[in-house]
Amino acid sequence: MQKIRRRSVLAGAAGMLAMPKLGRAQAAKPRLTAISQWSAGSDGAAISALGKKFEERGGIWQHSPVPGFTTEMMNKLRAQILSGDPPACSQLKGPEIAAWSKIAPTVNLDAIVAAAGYEKVVAPDLARLHKPGGKWAALPLQIYRTNTLFVSKRGLDRAKADKLPTTWAEFNTLADKMQASGMKYPISNGGSRADDGQKFEACLAGISPAAYRAAIMNLDAKALKGPEMLAAFVQLRKIANWMDPNTAAQPYAVHLPKLIAGEMGMMIQGGWAQGVLLNAGFKLDDFIIAPGPTDNGKPVFILNADAFIFWQRKEADLQEGQKLMAELVMQPAIQTMYSQITGSIPVRTDVDLSGPGWSDGQREAAKTLKDAVAANQVVLSLAHNMAQENGMTAAMIDVLTEYVKDRTITPEKAVTRLTEAVEGAR
Amino acid sequence: MKLNLRRLPEYLVIWVPLLLAAGQIVTFALWTTWISFTSATLMPSGDWVGLKNYTNVLATRNWKIAFDNLLIFGFGFVVLTALTGLFLAILLDQRIRGENVLRSIFLYPLALSFVVTGTAWSWLLNPGMGVQKLVNDLGWTGFRFDWLVDRDMAIWTIVIAGIWQSSGFAMALFLAGLRSVEPDLVKAAQIDGAGPFRLYTRVILPSLWPIVIAVMVILIQTAIRTFDLVRALTGGGPGIATQLPALVVYDFMFQRGQLGRGSAAAVLMLLTLAAVLLPYGIWKYVQRRRAANA
Repeated sequence: MQKIRRRSVLAGAAGMLAMPKLGRAQAAKPRLTAISQWSAGSDGAAISALGKKFEERGGIWQHSPVPGFTTEMMNKLRAQILSGDPPACSQLKGPEIAAWSKIAPTVNLDAIVAAAGYEKVVAPDLARLHKPGGKWAALPLQIYRTNTLFVSKRGLDRAKADKLPTTWAEFNTLADKMQASGMKYPISNGGSRADDGQKFEACLAGISPAAYRAAIMNLDAKALKGPEMLAAFVQLRKIANWMDPNTAAQPYAVHLPKLIAGEMGMMIQGGWAQGVLLNAGFKLDDFIIAPGPTDNGKPVFILNADAFIFWQRKEADLQEGQKLMAELVMQPAIQTMYSQITGSIPVRTDVDLSGPGWSDGQREAAKTLKDAVAANQVVLSLAHNMAQENGMTAAMIDVLTEYVKDRTITPEKAVTRLTEAVEGAR
Repeated sequence: MKLNLRRLPEYLVIWVPLLLAAGQIVTFALWTTWISFTSATLMPSGDWVGLKNYTNVLATRNWKIAFDNLLIFGFGFVVLTALTGLFLAILLDQRIRGENVLRSIFLYPLALSFVVTGTAWSWLLNPGMGVQKLVNDLGWTGFRFDWLVDRDMAIWTIVIAGIWQSSGFAMALFLAGLRSVEPDLVKAAQIDGAGPFRLYTRVILPSLWPIVIAVMVILIQTAIRTFDLVRALTGGGPGIATQLPALVVYDFMFQRGQLGRGSAAAVLMLLTLAAVLLPYGIWKYVQRRRAANA
């Protein structure tokens, strides 16, 4: 207590000294304090570019990156909230936006969002995540599709196939064909938890987006035990048997050279893998990007999005900064700039991707998103913390990753275990 | 008791930091224990929920696997590290040439952090690029050493890396112990015609007991709080096959945003540690009493 009082006295004194300048301060120059984990690579480049735009509009950009795992960024955020000094905006995604907005007040962005006419160009499921309690408190920044199919051009030639698979049955036939051509492991995959979870979500959503929504997003007890879940685990076992078991905890990227060389055939991965492939020196015509298999003939888009949440601050300059930041991240030009750096696709479904600077993969993903929104087949990624809060997600991924690594677990047993894990984490 | 003012600086230097450190540890241990009984999630505050967090943690597969692993890892790591260390110490104790160089080599892994150890061994043990591939490329194509990706054996890869890292430390302590054995005792045994084997088993090793206990206790508490080694070597996998309690605590607290459950797991870890350290403390106490009475 003592300390705080002393600090406010000091602040008051400083305020007195600053008195003559007060007139200027009232027209508050926008200032933004922000924390994120994006410090290096294309992520770092993109956020720095955004900062430049912020400064061009006369703002003061104060970004403090917390490199490393997302959890470390969250620890910093937690500490700042506990000490009553949250950043004006911070990176946060998915259902964590709603969870964290309960522990500290957030800014109501409704007016700014409405003025920009933004809501009708954002996928409804995505918009919902950023409106805890029905009010916009956060804004999505960029979108990735997690069920993107990367097919090796040489792998395809080696299997003497020319058609890309669109359903799981076709996918399985092609994988078999690739294996028969002498490819030991037709499916390329990393060994991380998220990698395993991602394979499962691609299976289930491809089999039935409705079942995915009921079981994974709404945790409906009946849907969790439904026949689609069983079918998804059966498909996941097939994929697991086609993967290189010697992967341990390595990232998916270690297999990329083999995939391109045609020693492996296909990979189900997020759209970000395109950037990784190009950075590794491979060419766009070394691989083909296609939507993940879907059994009902309509496109399915499993969505992952990064976002910024805005924390309430009293300072006039920070409030101005929040307004400016919100305005910027909704602009098509800014989203174009950002996605072209990171390889993602814009949040807005009305951005034109025909120009240079976009790849065919990005164009295809953006078109699939638009079509999937129309068909109501956009679902939120479990593996990338979009479908559930972190506690529930981790409990479910435990089951999925164990299933991928352990062939003795039957699909039936996996369904039971997943149901139990959900109950335990509720 | 009369306070000697001239010794006041000494008291201040010793007691103030000691009390601060102890107060900090005790305060946070108590705070964690308190949180473990509340419904805290993202923030350390919540309502009293009794033992709910404990029953919940104890029911998860993660915790069960972690605890089984702790038993396997604890036993394998402590016993094998101590034996390896003792073996190396006895070999070095033969007054050989180049002892200093060898001792530095064996002790050197201790200078590396567990993260570096784990990362290096994750490459060595990976069947696709490490030892297995090397032997296969040399011509023995049937050779298999894929424990790292075998969920039943993966925990032993952590034991191997742990032994490599810590046996030098055990060796150093044992060597000091061996050197401090009364030379007269050894001479007397040799005059009585004891061979090297009997000399060690009957004379030297029995006098090493206090050091054996000390090494064991230090290794056991290392085993219980092992975190970084697993994180770097297997990431808790394949699947969740190599989870350890410290990983589960971190996972609950910071990745799942469930501070209450994480705290409950942390308290369970503290109890495990107490179960090891308390008997040791009592044993030390009894020893001292006996020595005082003798």
